[in-house]
Amino acid sequence: MIPELGQGMLLVALGLALAGAILSAAGGRTGRPALVESAQHAALGVFALITCSFALLVYAFLTFDFSVRYVASNTNLGTPFWYRITGVWGALEGSIILWGWMLSLYTLIVILRHRERARELYPWALTVMLAIMAFFITIMTVAAPPFSRLNPVPANGRGLNPLLEDTGMITHPIALYLGFTGFTVPFAFAVAALVTGRLSDTWIALTRRWTITAWYFLSLGLLIGGWWSYHVLGWGGYWAWDPVENAAFMPWLTGTAFLHSVMIQERRRMLKLWNISLVILTFSLTLFGTFLTRSGVIASVHAFTQGSIGIMFLSFLALVVLVALGLLAWRWDALKAQGELDSVVSRESAFLLNNVMLVAAAFTVFFGTVFPLLSEAVRGVKVSVGAPFFNSVNIPLFLGLIFLMGVGPLIAWRRASLDNLRRNFVGPIVVGIVGAAVFYALGVRSALAVLSLALTVFVAATIGLDFWRATRARLRMGESILPAMTGLLARHNRRYGGFVVHLGILVIAVGVTGSQAWSVQTETTLKVGESASLGGYNVRFDRLDAAEESNHARVVGTFTVANGRQPAVMQPSKKYYPQESSPIAGVDYWIGLKEDLYLVLGDFTRDGRQATVKIQVNRLVTVIWIGGLILTLGTVLSVMPERRKAA
Amino acid sequence: MSRALRWLIPLAAIPVLALLAYGFRLNPREVPSPLVGRPAPAFALKTFAGQPVSLESLRGKVVVLNFWASWCYPSCYEEAPVLERGWQAWRDRSVVVLGVDIQDTDDKALKFVRDFQLSFPNAPDPSGKVSIDYGIYGVPETFFIDKQGRIRAKHVGALSEEVFRQHVERLSSESQGAAQR
Amino acid sequence: MKPKFIGGGLVILAALGYMIYAGVTQSAVYFVTPSELRASPVTGKAYRLGGLVARGSLRWDARTLDLAFTLTDGQASIPVRHKGTAPDLFGEGRGAVVEGTLTSDGYVKATQILAKHSEEYQAPHDKNEAGYKELIKTLQKATQ
Repeated sequence: MIPELGQGMLLVALGLALAGAILSAAGGRTGRPALVESAQHAALGVFALITCSFALLVYAFLTFDFSVRYVASNTNLGTPFWYRITGVWGALEGSIILWGWMLSLYTLIVILRHRERARELYPWALTVMLAIMAFFITIMTVAAPPFSRLNPVPANGRGLNPLLEDTGMITHPIALYLGFTGFTVPFAFAVAALVTGRLSDTWIALTRRWTITAWYFLSLGLLIGGWWSYHVLGWGGYWAWDPVENAAFMPWLTGTAFLHSVMIQERRRMLKLWNISLVILTFSLTLFGTFLTRSGVIASVHAFTQGSIGIMFLSFLALVVLVALGLLAWRWDALKAQGELDSVVSRESAFLLNNVMLVAAAFTVFFGTVFPLLSEAVRGVKVSVGAPFFNSVNIPLFLGLIFLMGVGPLIAWRRASLDNLRRNFVGPIVVGIVGAAVFYALGVRSALAVLSLALTVFVAATIGLDFWRATRARLRMGESILPAMTGLLARHNRRYGGFVVHLGILVIAVGVTGSQAWSVQTETTLKVGESASLGGYNVRFDRLDAAEESNHARVVGTFTVANGRQPAVMQPSKKYYPQESSPIAGVDYWIGLKEDLYLVLGDFTRDGRQATVKIQVNRLVTVIWIGGLILTLGTVLSVMPERRKAA
Repeated sequence: MSRALRWLIPLAAIPVLALLAYGFRLNPREVPSPLVGRPAPAFALKTFAGQPVSLESLRGKVVVLNFWASWCYPSCYEEAPVLERGWQAWRDRSVVVLGVDIQDTDDKALKFVRDFQLSFPNAPDPSGKVSIDYGIYGVPETFFIDKQGRIRAKHVGALSEEVFRQHVERLSSESQGAAQR
Repeated sequence: MKPKFIGGGLVILAALGYMIYAGVTQSAVYFVTPSELRASPVTGKAYRLGGLVARGSLRWDARTLDLAFTLTDGQASIPVRHKGTAPDLFGEGRGAVVEGTLTSDGYVKATQILAKHSEEYQAPHDKNEAGYKELIKTLQKATQ
């Protein structure tokens, strides 16, 4: 009964979404507010129905309703309570409902925030949001219905994929989806701008906070995904250039480009065409990302599922791209009318170069990801390109981007004079070169690492210089230092929020550089009592134990680890789940600021006397997560409401 | 840019979309098992009803060999009706659906057969020899064997109506004495 | 648009194109089956080889961490060697995909053994030789 109710609600929601889209479009066309209001009510209805439907699904999970196929696939009687809730979005059907729910929530927020302030654009933006929602609800009702039944009812379920029983895996999809769905709003307003012909800055100013928030959640999702990969999978890495990872990275790259290029349009009324194209591209890439993950078209270690859903996604993606680009072609003339670039040495230029590099990186990732398809279609040969390809092309691009992070905010608009260049950059460049020398003296020999760190120092110096100058100006006016600094942050929160975000990126860059350049690992077999050392740590194998839990069994290896200080115990394990054809490794680790120590239990003998263990000393990885925190602070600062000028 | 040329922009997206659509022609669900194309390993089992059944005795018919277990939730539960319907539709056209129950207890297996009202022959594999011969490492797995006794396809996971029909149609339409390859 | 911007744009495009071309040729990995590799082996080339781990071919020396096995597709077999433990989804009679280079001695030196994870399935139960219940009991007794 309850499952049928849930599915019925989704069906009604589909009807409402479609009706609302049509009503809103009619309202936009005719200018009659009553139509738009009806559409708003429809949107509210959709939100309510999806929320209830979602709640019913969670209820089915909590009550072990194995008559529902999705429940039987993702839980069993041993699944712990908390994972019965979070497991709801652990597989396809639930994740689509989550996406749909977020879309409906965002639509509601758009309604509340924008219905007064954007009379012209708003109806069309609402149309787009409702239409996109209609697509996702169609998926929920046709291709991946969460409530389909099993008859007769199995006595037990399969169980959650054990790799998902982890906090990272609970939060990663939520953050990622908040990011993906968030880009729907700027896209909707961009389409509204194209339809109404109001192509000036209104749509950009309206969606600024949406863009930043969506970008942030996407960044967060990527970081959490890296964190999960790092501490659960135990291979010592956090990014593998896997197609599914790339699928989330591409919209992040173009989204970052968009974030920056809108500043140029705001200030100089330039790049209208470029901005519209970027937001269309970013949204399309979010759809492409879901398509890639769910359709099984490209082989990936992560690839989840297949079937008609892939075709539906591709069709919708094609529709979106063709309609949006068609609108763009239609409004071509209005978009082309704009200011010209005055000089290569200017802020506009720096931002444009930043955009070009980001889009180039996105293209590279796209090319590398679809390369297997391309080579098979063109030459009939199955080839793929791995991490070396992505690294060799993207690393120079990322280093260039870091450099631009230092140049962009300080260089003058229109045309930078020699004086302006000297004042702003000579100091930081010198500091950067000194930094390079210092790192070299400290023993860093990898040219790439030295360059990367020197650039980081350069950019940090530019940020420091700017902040210091502005603070000094306030001090001269009689303020004392602390109020001067906080006053700056509050008054110019957009600028300094951006700086803090840049700092976060710099910190992440340092972490990535360090972990790539200086991490070490080894694998060795030890008898009871034997030890191995790596990176200053001494690891001794003590014993092996076996135990049974509620939904799995475990073999645990006990190791005593010492690094000159107090010795402590680490217990990597292998977990055996009845529904999995092989054991899952339980990594044990020590997290530190400078380095992390990892132990992964490999093979062992049945008498418990011998074990093979992989030891990793991963350097500066924690710095990456700290960079993520700084990123969060910067984002919060950026989106805070602007303060009116105080004393 | 002239009025006409601008429409090249949306059209430029088409080759990329076409490339992605091309990806659908590849089907990773059908595991490229080394067993495909080779003669199916022989077996001699006794059904739950006590009837003996061997691969040899099925020569000349298309055989859908399905490995299952009563504890396999939910995939075996999903595909059981599909197999039964397939059996009803094709049994008069020289197609045999044979279920092999592995690593199970007889009473649970019989309950499964009863619950789904399966009328096609099902046999337990007590020694596990047949599942080893066929390289089974998960359930459900289904093999499509042609009239000459060669494995022509292997499907892992729950079988759908479409896949069942696709393979059975193709193999049935081949003539008895056709020498493949 | 000013000529120098167009010129700059072309330079960037060319540089990108070159980097991508170099990257692809350097790191392209060819998917092959054992039969395909036997048919045209190229020493030193990077391959991704997929097949079944032949029964009885698995050799593992825990002390030296040498893993050796044969991948077969029913028609041809290719010997593979790897340093380090295999991933958990690996075993005789199961499918495996390895990434590595073909050595002049005729075996593939694998740098990676790729695990394939399927959500459709369930694993066979305890009576299997890989069954864990028995393993757990043996271990518990031994380490009492």
